[in-house]
Amino acid sequence: MNAASQRTAFLALFSHYRRHPGQLAMLLVGLWVASALWSGVQAINASARDSYARAEALFSTGLDRIERRDGLPLTLDDYLSLRLAGAPVSPLVTGELELAGGSRLEVMGIDPLTLPEGSGFRTAGGTATLADFLQPPYRTRLAPDTLASLTEEDDTLPPLADGRQLPPLELAPELPPGVAVMDIAAALELLERDDLSRLLVAPEARLDLPQPLVRSAAENLAAPGQLTDSFHLNLTAMALLALVVGLLIVHAALSLTLEQRLGLMRTLRALGVSGRALVSLLLGELLMLGVLGAALGILSGVWLAQWLLPDVAASLQALYGERVGSELALPWHYWLGGLAVTLGGLLTAGLGTLWRAARLDVLGLGRAQAWRGQFLRQLRGMALAGGLLWLIAGGLLAWLERQPPAEGLTPGFVMIAAGLLGSALWLPPLLAMLLAALARLLRRRPLAQWALADLQLQLPRLSVAMMALLLALSANLGVGSMVGGFRLTFLEWLDQRLVADLYLRPPPARYEAAVDWLEARDEVATLLPRARAEATLLGSASSQRQPRPVNVYGVTPHPALTEHWPLLASQEDDASAWQAFARGAAMINEQLALATGLAPGQWLRLSSPTGPMELPIAAIYPDYGNPRGEVMLTAPHLSERFQTAPDSIGIVLDRQVAPGAIAALRRDLSQTLGIGGDSLIDQREIQRRSTEIFERTFAITRALNTLTLGVAGLALLSSLLAQTGQRRSQLAPLWALGVSRGPLVGASIAQLGGAALVTAALAVPLGLALTWCLVAVINVAAFGWRLPLHVFPGQIAATLGLAVGVALLAALLPAWRLWRTSPRTLLTEFDAL
Amino acid sequence: MLELRHISKSYPTPQGPLCVLQGVDLRLAVGESLALMGESGSGKSTLLHLAAGLDTPDDGEVRLDGRPLSALDEPTRARLRRERLGLVFQQYHLVPSLNVADNLRLQARLAGREDAAWSRELLERLGLASMAGRYPEQLSGGQQQRLAIGRALATRPALLLADEPTGNLDETSADEVLTLLLELVGDSGCALLMVTHSPRVAAPLDRCLRLSHGRIAEASP
Ligand SMILES: Nc1ncnc2c1ncn2[C@@H]1O[C@H](COP(=O)(O)OP(=O)(O)OP(=O)(O)O)[C@@H](O)[C@H]1O
Ligand SMILES: [Mg+2]
Repeated sequence: MNAASQRTAFLALFSHYRRHPGQLAMLLVGLWVASALWSGVQAINASARDSYARAEALFSTGLDRIERRDGLPLTLDDYLSLRLAGAPVSPLVTGELELAGGSRLEVMGIDPLTLPEGSGFRTAGGTATLADFLQPPYRTRLAPDTLASLTEEDDTLPPLADGRQLPPLELAPELPPGVAVMDIAAALELLERDDLSRLLVAPEARLDLPQPLVRSAAENLAAPGQLTDSFHLNLTAMALLALVVGLLIVHAALSLTLEQRLGLMRTLRALGVSGRALVSLLLGELLMLGVLGAALGILSGVWLAQWLLPDVAASLQALYGERVGSELALPWHYWLGGLAVTLGGLLTAGLGTLWRAARLDVLGLGRAQAWRGQFLRQLRGMALAGGLLWLIAGGLLAWLERQPPAEGLTPGFVMIAAGLLGSALWLPPLLAMLLAALARLLRRRPLAQWALADLQLQLPRLSVAMMALLLALSANLGVGSMVGGFRLTFLEWLDQRLVADLYLRPPPARYEAAVDWLEARDEVATLLPRARAEATLLGSASSQRQPRPVNVYGVTPHPALTEHWPLLASQEDDASAWQAFARGAAMINEQLALATGLAPGQWLRLSSPTGPMELPIAAIYPDYGNPRGEVMLTAPHLSERFQTAPDSIGIVLDRQVAPGAIAALRRDLSQTLGIGGDSLIDQREIQRRSTEIFERTFAITRALNTLTLGVAGLALLSSLLAQTGQRRSQLAPLWALGVSRGPLVGASIAQLGGAALVTAALAVPLGLALTWCLVAVINVAAFGWRLPLHVFPGQIAATLGLAVGVALLAALLPAWRLWRTSPRTLLTEFDAL
Repeated sequence: MLELRHISKSYPTPQGPLCVLQGVDLRLAVGESLALMGESGSGKSTLLHLAAGLDTPDDGEVRLDGRPLSALDEPTRARLRRERLGLVFQQYHLVPSLNVADNLRLQARLAGREDAAWSRELLERLGLASMAGRYPEQLSGGQQQRLAIGRALATRPALLLADEPTGNLDETSADEVLTLLLELVGDSGCALLMVTHSPRVAAPLDRCLRLSHGRIAEASP
């Protein structure tokens, strides 16, 4: 075939879309949406990864940290005496500066000369020489995106809020966002400090540290990005779901356009276009549409990412303390990857269609019943594949049950994917069986019989949209109840744990004075001191457990606290657990219990500055949002064994206290004890901030979830609208035989509404199963704790209503057009058959 | 039974309105059979559609059982078609989702008066009994045409409007179908309006009309 005839054939094939622009729109919308959601999330992930990589280069180049046990800053003397003793330590000071205009900048002061060779701190630098960096006026090194977030228009550093100037700017793209690095002398001066945040030392260096100092090994410090992996995996899973839903639309649209062009293809074949030429023409068409859809999708994906990134950055900062730049940083392979995923997905979705076009039997074309026979075979295959996927999901679940937590994240997602996909594959066979059964039942009612038989013929085209709907609905339900349940549990738990009205963090030197002063106040009912320390959980002889770092938390077991504090498991009952706790037993958080298998009644061994300690475990308590294992002791017990004073005091106020009491207390505290207002935190303030963090964390989940559901609705709507014309020509003969438009409209609405209702009804148990997987498998693997399963009937009803609403809307639009069609136009269409 | 009074009908076309019927008058009594002839494109199908109430004339009036169709609302017209008319379309318009037996019974069942024995006899006499479970697309053109006729006859209509019902049939089959149609007319007093190109098919009917240039005239087959 020469180029001209190829062009002619291509134009003939493509002219189909001129007659059916709706199908072209549906195809492009599917591609666009799939690629937009996917590339949006990938853009977020890529930007975050870029930030992590830069942070990693700076922070975790394998340097151990030396800090004070009590968390106070180190003095210059501490540093100098270590140096004098020959220890290869290097000082570091960090702090925040407020700039004119209100933005804040984290400043790190380093000493390049004492830093170990090859450290990221030392090499992260710009063009200026070491001498420039070390000598006045010094240099401020920061990344271009940090600079962009600080200044509006020009590329100069703004002055500090108090009018002082930062050292001259030097751009260093490899620095993480939001951080400025300068010589320690400059930093100390700007921060107005004369102490150090910590010391750094190469891991291989051996040191003898004086008692108040502790060394944390580099390998115990989680690398940036490591903790956030689960967060990004979550996002990727959601994006994958959106991609699958979008591709299902594409698949539906492609099948439809192929089916409707069968006659045309037959004619082309009869006119001498070879089967192979036809397939390559269709492939060309696919590629053309694919590139267009991918371009649209990637552009909107980037836009979407830009819109969501600030929220994501805020949650990552709040949840994991990771800084992520709020500007997109996209490597070149991001663009290629987006294109490849879209085209790959399109080809996967179109493969079946192309294959059918290639094997086209020239005479047996356009025969709905023949397609139906093929579809019935396909249904058997789908049921089989679905069963297989369910087996895989079940097998993975059984395997996961026997794995230690925190290792099953990827298998957990694979299990969910297999379960969801398996269920989606079962949907068409189930619908077909249901239709057949109903058809037998309603044999005596001709219109119902016709409607069912007709729906069976529509099923091949409809089932893909229904599968997309099922996936999106159950994901929406599952993720929705997970987030809702989390919210409920988290807020309730926060409420229970924050029993004190106020929390005071006095400077350690003034701790005793503060306690005395507070005890003398009338409005103060109870004081609940809290203390913190770090320790290592030691393996015991009986178990082959590895030592692991844990936080130790000291609380005061006053009834005001213990009556509300929720426990997950205790040896006998909660009351006796608290009694044992007061007598010196430990409680552990759920994370630690799940990770180690420790249970109430067992003993744990803990390192402490005063030697290893053996403690019985009285109970396990929930500790939502904490990524680490924690052991809880009474505050006095902790202070004694870890030689550290309580770091904060919970203040329970008298119930009858006057409204202005908090303000008065704050004022008196700063006047008599000189303790600044910042050290006193209102409980409601903590709740508000926690809730805000929570909402931001799930903002993106909600946004993606809603978008996916919207996509599925769109899929259903567009795939039904694309068939409107065909539907009318199916209805016209019945109309001619004497069925008036009312019953016809009713029948077509019942067809789709019924199918959507069945799909939505199946989505409910599937969504609940998904919720269970998320709270009991994924959450445990990602965060180390389990969420209680909550079911929200209102939400289920709303989702069901939405699905049926979309289906009815999709059915109503064609029905409305049928209703409005004058008999004459109907007849014209009818004649055109 | 059926009366067309001074019917005019034109279709809009890019070259302006195309006048297909210009003041056509036609009467068909109970039990009467009438052949409508005319060259292709002369407006025969248009006239049939108007008579069935599927389309409305620009001018003039269609009366069925003495009632003007234009005075009836849509559901009533639909009921009238369902219960009183049998239609055989030039393009058959079978329902692809139903098999032969169900297609044949469809209108009778819609009208709520299926006669199972009569349906079976029709299947038998139309030579479709052996393919009752097949779907329309699995039939030959002539078989589809016979099925379309069967569907119209299964309701025992008062008025049968048939658009070239034997166009795709060989002589023997055509004769059989014709016999069937005339038998029904004779037995039940059904009126028949049949479009045909074949004088041989038109011959046994009571009257023959010829449509040309939008007007109608008595003719001999
Ligand atoms: N919807 C329409 N719009 C415009 N013109 C139409 C339409 N339907 C029919 N026509 C024209 O009206 C004329 C009569 O059409 P009709 O179908 O009634 O002819 P016919 O006598 O049945 O022809 P045949 O014997 O070929 O079936 C034709 O010229 C046709 O082109
Ligand atoms: Mg005709």
